[in-house]
Amino acid sequence: MDYRAAFQISAAGMATEKLRLDVTTLNLANMHAAGASADQVYRPQRVLTQALGFGAQFGRLAAAAQAGGSRAVVVPQDKAARMVHEPGHPYANSQGMVAYPGVDHIAEMVTLNAALRAYEANVTAMNAARTMAARTLDIGGQ
Amino acid sequence: MSIDPVSLSAILPTSEQFLAPLAAPAAAPAPGFAAWVNESIGAVNETMVSADAGVRQVALGAGPSLHEVMIDLEEARLSFQLLAQVRNRLLDAYQEVMRMQV
Repeated sequence: MDYRAAFQISAAGMATEKLRLDVTTLNLANMHAAGASADQVYRPQRVLTQALGFGAQFGRLAAAAQAGGSRAVVVPQDKAARMVHEPGHPYANSQGMVAYPGVDHIAEMVTLNAALRAYEANVTAMNAARTMAARTLDIGGQ
Repeated sequence: MSIDPVSLSAILPTSEQFLAPLAAPAAAPAPGFAAWVNESIGAVNETMVSADAGVRQVALGAGPSLHEVMIDLEEARLSFQLLAQVRNRLLDAYQEVMRMQV
């Protein structure tokens, strides 16, 4: 059935948005993970997506929907570590500064919301395709 | 000059020629509708079983992601509905034939 192509396209979009959510969650979870030095703290990650062509989508792409697909890559963000003055902290350096990951809380929340809305849009598109297929089966019915 | 009379046998095919197609051994019969229905039922059953296996894997916390399983379920439902519609049409046609006046 040809509607599977539409389902697969939506599934690829959902997988991408899910990955975005996972990465954002990871960033938020590690927001306060202090490190011994600015080089050792967690680097916030970001998802880079690459649009697949129409042909690739209809070629049962699948590979993109599965883990390790070439559609999305996770790369570290180029954010400097946040230095906080906490002299009593075990990780404090000689100046009493502790390194925290440079996670942008507000930007992460916006990414979270955008990923959620995009996921919902993908679900809606899939449901539309499903409804269309179901209506097709009504042809000629009493 | 003489003109040959046209004989009937020259125009019409001989009985051997006429009956030849009937006598010829039938070629391998094309797969019938029943075979197609059987095959479709098997395919639909397979999609449902695989969707069920996906649900079980998700419930166990492994396997494919949730949205893939949901999409598999929807695909299985659609293929089952298609098969049910084919069955409805078939039954309609059968009843139409049964109602025919003889």
